[in-house]
Amino acid sequence: MDRIRSSTIGRSLFRSPDRATERDRAAGHWANFFLHIYPVKVRREELTFRYSAFLGVASLVLFGSLVVSGIYLMFFYVPSPASAYGDINTIQNDVAFGQYIRNVHRWSAHLMVLTVAAHMARVFYRGAYKSPREFNWVIGVVLLALTLLMSFTGYLLPWDQLAFWAVTVGTSMADFVPFVGDATRTVLLGGGDVGSATLLRFYVLHVAVLPTAITLVVTIHLWRWRKDSMLEQGGDQ
Amino acid sequence: MSRRERPSPQIVDGKRVLGIVPGTPAVGDRKVPASDDLVMTSPHLLVRHAVAAIFVLLIVLALALFFDAPLKDIADPTNTPNPEKAPWYFAALQELLALFHPQVAGVLVPTAILIGLVALPYIDRSPRMGSGTRKVAVTTFTVFLVLWIILTIIGFAFRGPNWDWVWPWEEWHGEL
Repeated sequence: MDRIRSSTIGRSLFRSPDRATERDRAAGHWANFFLHIYPVKVRREELTFRYSAFLGVASLVLFGSLVVSGIYLMFFYVPSPASAYGDINTIQNDVAFGQYIRNVHRWSAHLMVLTVAAHMARVFYRGAYKSPREFNWVIGVVLLALTLLMSFTGYLLPWDQLAFWAVTVGTSMADFVPFVGDATRTVLLGGGDVGSATLLRFYVLHVAVLPTAITLVVTIHLWRWRKDSMLEQGGDQ
Repeated sequence: MSRRERPSPQIVDGKRVLGIVPGTPAVGDRKVPASDDLVMTSPHLLVRHAVAAIFVLLIVLALALFFDAPLKDIADPTNTPNPEKAPWYFAALQELLALFHPQVAGVLVPTAILIGLVALPYIDRSPRMGSGTRKVAVTTFTVFLVLWIILTIIGFAFRGPNWDWVWPWEEWHGEL
C-alpha cells in the first residue's frame, strides 16, 4: 500500500503519501476528503463502546442504507393512488430483490428511529450537551424531529390500509393544535382528508425535501462535532 | 569501541533510534495510558467505526431476510380498521390522547417535550459531566424516558379494538 501511495499516481491521488511520522499521517488526514469530517486525534476514551455505543455512526449508516435502498425502490414506484399499491405488489413479486430491498428499507427506518433516540439518550447521560456543545444538542433535536417526519411520510407510500389509517390518525392529532392546527393539517394533506394530493406531497417530502434537509443538518452536526473536539484538545479551531 | 561494534541508527516504527540506555525509565516502568490521552483517529477510531457499520448492516440484512415488510389490503377510506393505530413511534402520543384531554395530550405535552429538549443545555449550566454527579438532571430525564417507553409499549402492544386494553399474548394488534 505504501508503495502504491508513493508512486506517481499515488502521489497525485493522496497528496500526502508519506506516512512515516504522526505528522505525515495528520497531513494525510487533512488532505483526504472523506477523513476531513473527523478530528485528526480523539481522546482514548472515545474509542470505547461504553462512551457512545457507536449510536451516532449506526444512525448515519442506517441513513446511508435508506438512501441506497430508497433509490432502488424509486425506480419502480409512482406516487398516485391508482398505481402506488400495485407498484408495491410488483416490487414484491416481480422486481429482482424487490421484496428484500423493501424489507431492508423498512427495517433500516425502524432501527434509525431507535438509534437516533438512543444516541440522544447516551449523549444526555454522558453530559455531552454541556458547553461548548449546547447548540449541537439542539441540532440533534432537529435531526430527531426530521427522522420522525422522514419515517412518517414514508409510512403512507405503500398506500395500504396500514399506511392510510396510520397517517390519518397521525395527522388528526394536528387538529388539537390551536390556531395553526387546521392550517398545518390542510397544507400537509393537500386538502381535508388523506388523498392523492397527500400521497404526492408525502412522496416529495420523503424523497427530496427531507433527505436534503437531513443531509445538510447532519453535515453541520458532524462539522460542529469535529470543531468542538479539536477545541477541547487546545487546537486553534 | 571499534567501528564494527557501534550499533548503527535504525528506523523503528517511523522513528529513528539514536541510542538505547540500559536501566529503568526515569518516570516509571511503563506509561499507563489515560483516558484523556490523544490517539490518531486514523486508524484507531476509523477501524471501530467500520466494525460498528458492518455490525449494523449485518443486523439490517438479517432482519430483512427473516421478516418481510407488511402489506395489507389496498387503502380504503370507507373501511376504518379497529383499532386505528399510528406508527409505533407515535404510540405514546396516541396513548396519551386516550388518557387525557386532547389539548393536554396532543398539544401541551409534545410542545413541552420539544421545548424541554431544546432548552436542556441552556437550563442545565453546571459543568459536571458524569451521570453520578448530576442527580436532578439524570433523574428527571430518566423518569420521562421510562414513562415514554412504557406508554409506547402500551399503545403499541396492549391496545385493541376501541383502544381497549388487551393482553398481547391473547390478541396481537401491534403493527410495525
